Amino acid sequence: MPLNLSQPKRKTAISLTPLIDVVFILLLFFMLTSSFVPWRTVDAPLAVPSDKTAPLKENDLVVLTLKQNDQMVWVDGVSYSLSDTSWFKKLVIDHENSAFSVNAENGVNLQTLMNLADRLKESGAKTVSIANAFSSKDDK
Amino acid sequence: MKIADKFAVKNKTDDDAMVPLINVVFLMLVFFMVAGQIRKADPIPVIPPSSINDHKAVTDPNVLIVVGGNKQIYLNDKLVTLEAIKPALESQFKQTQDKEKFWVQIKADGLVPVEILRPIFSEIRASGLTKVSLATQLQREPK
Repeated sequence: MPLNLSQPKRKTAISLTPLIDVVFILLLFFMLTSSFVPWRTVDAPLAVPSDKTAPLKENDLVVLTLKQNDQMVWVDGVSYSLSDTSWFKKLVIDHENSAFSVNAENGVNLQTLMNLADRLKESGAKTVSIANAFSSKDDK
Repeated sequence: MKIADKFAVKNKTDDDAMVPLINVVFLMLVFFMVAGQIRKADPIPVIPPSSINDHKAVTDPNVLIVVGGNKQIYLNDKLVTLEAIKPALESQFKQTQDKEKFWVQIKADGLVPVEILRPIFSEIRASGLTKVSLATQLQREPK
């Protein structure tokens, strides 16, 4: 009988603590550096200067102007509320093939501008342009 | 001998109890590695306007302009003045291989008034670029 068999073989225990330390650090790193909300983009193509000589025909373009951040939009000198869904629907139906151009006066912030563009899109407008709001009057 | 046995048993139970913890931690690790995207943080915290627009860019922007609520302009993470935008854009454009796909993203805070953005757009136009996009975030529930 070999003597060494009588002694039970002890499993060498590897401590799990360092492993968990490393995994926790990795976990923290990935949690803090990950972003799950990719930004969406709205195109605001800039007109090349030569295009400015041939603008759209007057009746093809509906210009909506924001004057302040008061949720009111001005069309042809009359103001409407941004929450007036039925008016937006009517406007879009009345100008089915028109492009909608959003204009803004000084002081209007970006969120208000996007709200107006959203309302138009929701009402079914096909072409909404926000680029006009950013074009300066003194551009050559 | 008795003491050693006792400790051996204790150690074993300790490690056994840790296995579910490690399982969960590993699952979370894999989730964040696979689902998350590592992204550079903005030079200043910016909350872009929320919108129903769901259009995602296919390529990364060649130039990122961040406009904070305090009206500071950062171009590719560097604080710049308005006059410095045009030369910076031109040098970036020169270095780019695929000039057709060159585009500029403007990430502006939702509270930034349009007259702050107007001169920036003018500068971009003056440098001859036309592909410009504004960053928005998706509005979860329509109002």
